[in-house]
Amino acid sequence: MALLFLWALSGACLAATDYDQLFRQSSDLMAQGDLGGALELLGTVPPPAAGEEAGAYVSSRMQAARILAAQKETDRAVAACREVLKLFPDNSEARNFVTALEQQRKPGWHTVLSDTLRFLPSLAKGALMTLLLVFCTMLVSPLGGLLIALGRISTVRPISGFCWFIIWFFRGTPLLLQLFFIYYGLPSLGITLAPLTAAVIGLGLNYSAYLGEIIRGAIQSIDHGQMEAAKAIGMTYGQAMRRVIVPQTYKRLMPPVGNEFIALIKDTALVSTIAMVELMRAADQLFNTYFNITALALAAVIYLVLTTIFTFIFEKIEYRAGIYEQR
Amino acid sequence: MNSAEQPLLKLENITKRFKNLTAVNGVNLEVSSGEKLVIIGPSGSGKSTLLRAINLLEEIEEGAIIFEGRQVGYVMRAGKRHLDHPRAISTLRAEIGMVFQHFHLFPHMTVLGNVMEGPLTVQRKPADEARTIATDMLAKVGLSDKRDVFPATLSGGQKQRVAIARALAMRPKLMLFDEPTSALDPELVGEVFDTIHTLADEGMTMIIVTHHMGFARELADRVIFMESGNFLAQGTPEELFSAGQDNERIKGFLNRLL
Ligand SMILES: Nc1ncnc2c1ncn2[C@@H]1O[C@H](COP(=O)(O)OP(=O)(O)OP(=O)(O)O)[C@@H](O)[C@H]1O
Ligand SMILES: [Mg+2]
Repeated sequence: MALLFLWALSGACLAATDYDQLFRQSSDLMAQGDLGGALELLGTVPPPAAGEEAGAYVSSRMQAARILAAQKETDRAVAACREVLKLFPDNSEARNFVTALEQQRKPGWHTVLSDTLRFLPSLAKGALMTLLLVFCTMLVSPLGGLLIALGRISTVRPISGFCWFIIWFFRGTPLLLQLFFIYYGLPSLGITLAPLTAAVIGLGLNYSAYLGEIIRGAIQSIDHGQMEAAKAIGMTYGQAMRRVIVPQTYKRLMPPVGNEFIALIKDTALVSTIAMVELMRAADQLFNTYFNITALALAAVIYLVLTTIFTFIFEKIEYRAGIYEQR
Repeated sequence: MNSAEQPLLKLENITKRFKNLTAVNGVNLEVSSGEKLVIIGPSGSGKSTLLRAINLLEEIEEGAIIFEGRQVGYVMRAGKRHLDHPRAISTLRAEIGMVFQHFHLFPHMTVLGNVMEGPLTVQRKPADEARTIATDMLAKVGLSDKRDVFPATLSGGQKQRVAIARALAMRPKLMLFDEPTSALDPELVGEVFDTIHTLADEGMTMIIVTHHMGFARELADRVIFMESGNFLAQGTPEELFSAGQDNERIKGFLNRLL
C-alpha cells in the first residue's frame, strides 16, 4: 500500500519534473525516521535518457548514498555511487565519496570473514553447478573422443573425412560461439534446449574434438608390433583395438587428458553466457550487487581448489595406469 | 589325393612388391605336415616378407596360398583379386602361430594374461578353460613361476618363450618364427632354441628364419637359401652346409656368418 502510494506520488512529482520537491519529501521522510521510504522515493528517479539533464539522477543517487552511509550500509552506499560512476565516470562527487567510504571501511579480517560467510552459500551453489557440468562433460567427451579418434584412423574415407570435419570445426571456432549457436541459434531451427542440456552438448562436442586428437595420437604412438601380434593370434581389428591397443594408451593419455579437464573446469565459466548460474556467474552476480571483490577472490580460491584436486587425482590415475611398466 | 599326402602349406608363385622393389619374387614352396623348414639368407632378401605373407600380415600382389588344400586369404571378385573377408583372415591366422624377433608381448597383461588372450578373446573359451590351457603352455616353455608378473620384469629369453607359449595356446597347425633369437643376448639364445626343439620333437610343423647356422643344421629337415626375393638353393642341411658347396653366393654368405 505504502509502496503504491509512494509510486503514485513520485509519478506525479516526476511528471512535473519537480525534483526539488522530491528531495524535500525524502528529507521529510528521513526526518520522520522512515529511511526505507526515503530510499524508495529516491530510487524512482530514472537514469537520464541521451541528451537529458543528469543533475536530478546524480543528486538522487548521491542522496541515497549519504543516507545509506549514515545507516552503515557501506556496500549499498558504494553501490549507489557506482551507479553514478557507471554513467558518469568523471563525476568527482561520487568518486570522492566512494574513496572516503572505502577508506572508512578499511577491510579488516573480520569484514573479509563476514563477507565470506555471506557469499559462500551462493558461491557453493554455483560451484556445484560447475562440478555438474564438468562431470557430465567428462562422461561424454572421452567416449566421443574415442569414436572420433577411431573414425580418423579408419580407412573408410567418408568416416575419416567426417571425423576430420568435426575436429576441424570444433577446434577452429570459439567455444563461446558454439555455445551461442546451440543455445540461441538452434531454436530458430525448431530445436529449443534447456540451458544445462545446451551447455553439456556444447562442452561435450568441443572436448570430444580435442580429446579425439589426443586419443588418436596416443593410439598411433603404440608400437605397430602390438597390432601385428594381436592379429597374428587371430584377433580382428576391433578385438585388437579393444583388448590390446586402447588399454595401452591409458597411461599416455592421462597427462594431456588431465590438462584438458583442468581447462574444462575453467571453460565452464563460459556457459554463464547462456543463462546458467555456475561459479563464475554466481561470483559476478555478487560482485555486481555488492561491489565487493571478496566474491571474486573467493571464486578464484574455489577454482584453484577444484583444479588442485583434479591435478592430484590425475597424477594418481596416471601412476596406476602405468603400474605394469614397473620392473 | 588323400590328406596325408597333401602338403599342409603350399605357396604358388608368391610375389610381393613394395612400390618398385620386389621383396618376394614368384616363390613356390610346399611344406608337409611335421616338416621343419629353415630359411636363411642375407638381410633384405625377403625372408620376413615371405613369412608375413603366409599369415597375411602382408598382402601379396600375385600368387596363391593353399593351406590344408584350400586356397586362403584372397578371393576373386569380378575378375580381380581381393583380400578375403577380415573374419576369414582372422580364422586363418588363428591356425598359424607367429613368433616375432621383438616378441611383441602385450605389456599391460600379465604373463598368464598374454597366453590366455588368444583362447579367451579369439576362440571365446570360458576363462577357466583358457587359464588351464595357458598354464599348460607356460609349463611347456618352463615359465610356470612367472605367470603373474608383467612382461617388463622378464629377460629377453623369457619374453620370447612367453611369446611362443602365447602362439601355442591357439593350438596352431603351423608355426612361423622370424629370427626368434636375433634380439637376444648370446647367453639367452639357448633357452629359446631348447623350447623350439621341444616343439619340433612333438611334431610341430614350422618355418624358421634364423641366422644361427648351428641351430639350422641341427633342427632343419630342409634349408632354403633366399636372396633378392628368390630361392637360390634348397636341400638338406648336409647338402647346403657341406664343405663342397659350390655356389659362390652361399659359400660367401656362410663364411661371413662363421
Ligand atoms: N613395409 C615395407 N615398405 C617398403 N619396403 C619394405 C617393407 N618391408 C620390407 N621392405 C623391403 O623389402 C625387402 C625385403 O625385406 P625383408 O624384411 O623381408 O628382408 P629380410 O630377409 O627379412 O631381412 P632381415 O634379415 O634384415 O630381416 C627389403 O629390401 C626391405 O627394405
Ligand atoms: Mg627379417
